[in-house]
Amino acid sequence: MQFQRPNTRKEPSQGMLAILFSAPAVLIIAATILAPFCIAVFLSLHNWNLKRPGRERFVGLENYIDWLTDSDFWEPLRTTFTFAILAVVVIVLLSLLISLLLNEKFPGRGILRALLLVPWAIPSVVNALLWKWLLNPQYGLVNAVLFELGIITEYQNVLGSMPSVMIWLVIAYSWIHIPLATLLLLSGLQTIPGDIYESAIVDGANIWGRFRYITLPLLRPMLSIVIIFEMIFALKVFDIIFVLTAGGPADATNVLGWQIYTETFRKLDFGAGSSIAMLLGAITLALAILFYAILDRGAER
Amino acid sequence: MKARARLRLIVIYLGAAIVLAGTVGPFLWLVSSSFQYERQLLNRPPQWLPNPIVLDSYREIFEGAVLGEASGVPYQSRIFLRSFANSFFVAGSVAAIAVLVGAYAAYPLARLTFRGRSVLLFGILASRLIPALSLAIPIVLVAKRIGMSDKIVTLVFINLSFILPYVIWLLQSYFKTIPIELEDAGRIDGCSRLQVVHKIILPLSLPGLTSAGILAFLLTWGEFLFALLLSETPASYTSTVVVSLFATDVDVSFVSIITAGVVSVIPPIGFALIFQRFIISGLLSGSLKG
Repeated sequence: MQFQRPNTRKEPSQGMLAILFSAPAVLIIAATILAPFCIAVFLSLHNWNLKRPGRERFVGLENYIDWLTDSDFWEPLRTTFTFAILAVVVIVLLSLLISLLLNEKFPGRGILRALLLVPWAIPSVVNALLWKWLLNPQYGLVNAVLFELGIITEYQNVLGSMPSVMIWLVIAYSWIHIPLATLLLLSGLQTIPGDIYESAIVDGANIWGRFRYITLPLLRPMLSIVIIFEMIFALKVFDIIFVLTAGGPADATNVLGWQIYTETFRKLDFGAGSSIAMLLGAITLALAILFYAILDRGAER
Repeated sequence: MKARARLRLIVIYLGAAIVLAGTVGPFLWLVSSSFQYERQLLNRPPQWLPNPIVLDSYREIFEGAVLGEASGVPYQSRIFLRSFANSFFVAGSVAAIAVLVGAYAAYPLARLTFRGRSVLLFGILASRLIPALSLAIPIVLVAKRIGMSDKIVTLVFINLSFILPYVIWLLQSYFKTIPIELEDAGRIDGCSRLQVVHKIILPLSLPGLTSAGILAFLLTWGEFLFALLLSETPASYTSTVVVSLFATDVDVSFVSIITAGVVSVIPPIGFALIFQRFIISGLLSGSLKG
């Protein structure tokens, strides 16, 4: 409901005020997001290699066609999907478990929740350094623990071969992403009224039944948000690859983010780099919309 | 029933212990390693606690920064403190400017009725959907052409635009929680819109502004892609860039690498734990780290 607000002085209209107030922010965003985006589209339609200056020319959709007919696009795409699916599954499952734990009342809960911010606050590059250290073939703690437990008989170079490199990459990536997902799911859990559970207990529902028929459906909106956002993040993974694997061994972790980086900033082919970046953006957007449609429709049922 | 309650607590604390170990364990091991001698790190089984506590790698960082090449420490150690200062400058400036500019942009979105309001809000949020990698290419190209590459001012500007949508969203939802009656009372007393913002909205939004500022600081502190692409010399390296230079160099001793990692997260982890209430409330008001 909108009340007529008292106006005691002559002043600009609300629309004018809105323009004046938001102008600095809009200008900054336009200059650093909108304009670059237009230039990126422009570059993606051109032959634009910094190694061959003066040879820039318009090529239409040629860059895109080249990528779509090249295994240098499809292989990294498959790797990206493998990584993203594994990462989203690990993040969502673990953060669901942790949020269910934190939704219980027990002394020390607040401290545990606060300590979740430790991995969250660690920059992705430092996280990569941390795991490079934990997984070190000679000194690594992971090797030491597995060795002491008798699971392995000698120290392994897990980052040197498939599939272990992918598994540990997912674990390392997930480690700093779980806290936020947990906090979001926890906030979703806390909106579920306690008396629903009480009446379910009266009706004889066991713990699994309560989870399956009360928690999961009511948590669905927040769960959808977490899944969609984590997927968007995982598809554009780059930082951790840069430090931990550099796409290796033998392209085993060459995701699209890394492919874009090497194409553009090592081969200096800005045209090809821009077009593959556009393809990644389009795939991400399409998947986000698709997921949203599926998860949203499911919620209505 | 009593046995049941006890069982419940046992299960909970077992789970809590696992979560605790998984959450802080890896990081504590990094800290512990940073205080050991390089050769101690080779011990099997691993030496959990440093004995003695070795501060050599921490001293290297300070000596390197003061003495430069004469100190004989690795290149990365010499430039580390400078990059640390650069990170503070960039993250601090971004936080301050983002909150200031963001607050003015958030107010009309929260309180004014005007045509294009939802378009503006959607546009601001949608700008974050474009992958940073695709924007990085033209931004680097243009920055090099106009001589703005390798300057930390450029990093402030670029980070600002990625943080702003997020800050605006957070603040506009916070402003909406302030009772409109307070604003109306101010209007009756003859305040202009600008005075309403300055005298009523902003003072009452201090917790929201704090949340936004801290989150902006933390997200900028950890930013890597643009920091990497827009820097060419130590003058503009941020700490994440130097950490990556450490971590991808096989010739530097592990203790030095680890120590750089530990020192570079002291500000974000310290902030996160000190301001945890602000951060959790900020994070939960519908925004994500990306």
